[in-house]
Amino acid sequence: MDEPLAVEVVLALPDRQLLRRVTLPAGATVADAIAASGLAHDCPGLVDPDRAGIFSRRVTPQQAVRTGDRIELYRPLALDPKEARRRRAGG
Amino acid sequence: MNSLADRIDALLPQTQCEQCGYHGCRPYAEAIAAGEAAINQCPPGGSAGIARLAALLGRPALPLDPARGVEKPRMLARIVEADCIGCTKCIQACPVDAIVGAAKLMHTVIADDCTGCELCVPACPVDCIVLEPMPAAQAGDPLHADAARRHFQRREARLARERAERDAELAARKAAVDTPATPSNPVLAALARARAKQQGKTP
Repeated sequence: MDEPLAVEVVLALPDRQLLRRVTLPAGATVADAIAASGLAHDCPGLVDPDRAGIFSRRVTPQQAVRTGDRIELYRPLALDPKEARRRRAGG
Repeated sequence: MNSLADRIDALLPQTQCEQCGYHGCRPYAEAIAAGEAAINQCPPGGSAGIARLAALLGRPALPLDPARGVEKPRMLARIVEADCIGCTKCIQACPVDAIVGAAKLMHTVIADDCTGCELCVPACPVDCIVLEPMPAAQAGDPLHADAARRHFQRREARLARERAERDAELAARKAAVDTPATPSNPVLAALARARAKQQGKTP
């Protein structure tokens, strides 16, 4: 069980998607993976470890990662969904 | 160890669009290898793809089956961020995990991983996915096809694992409910003893 963990960390922006492959020691967490990716340094203000997931499921920064996981860093919606619906209904 | 299905799969575009009628390129390759599918069912592969399959299999090339779709330039999906409501439908539809996002958060296409299968387009309830031409370098790149194959296999394996985990959990819960009286349940064990005694008395 002490095999190193190979995971991907991805931050998807509209015009470019940054995907980093990192190798972590056994027992590493989502927060460790995000830190190892260096994405917070490269894209200041866009990385929030509390707004992350693995293959579209939200996870906490404390969650342990498994080999093959893709840790995804999310951005907020541009529009409130209720407001969007109201706009569509009215338009 | 290159099976016939492997060699056929290597010639397919790995779009995973299912226009052939199969659940992705690999199942279509297996159906061709088994003699169950024709070689002209892949619109993204087009006439060039059919010619390659014909050469491999020593069969005459056929025109693309029009019932499967039309040959056209490869496309890439892009999400119009102003309209995305974060519903995750496109993510569930994407056969190669090329969309990053979660419920009520922005969804974004990883352009390098998108195969242009278009399965996300009808899945989107607010029509916020547009198609743009795929760069020629990406459309003809065998490395891009290899990555798409890996991403498809990774997704299939993950979904199978999740199904197995769900089934195991359900089975465990069902077993816990259905468990008959055992010594570990003192009340039921006492009842069983009493019943056995009663039956012993009656002649």
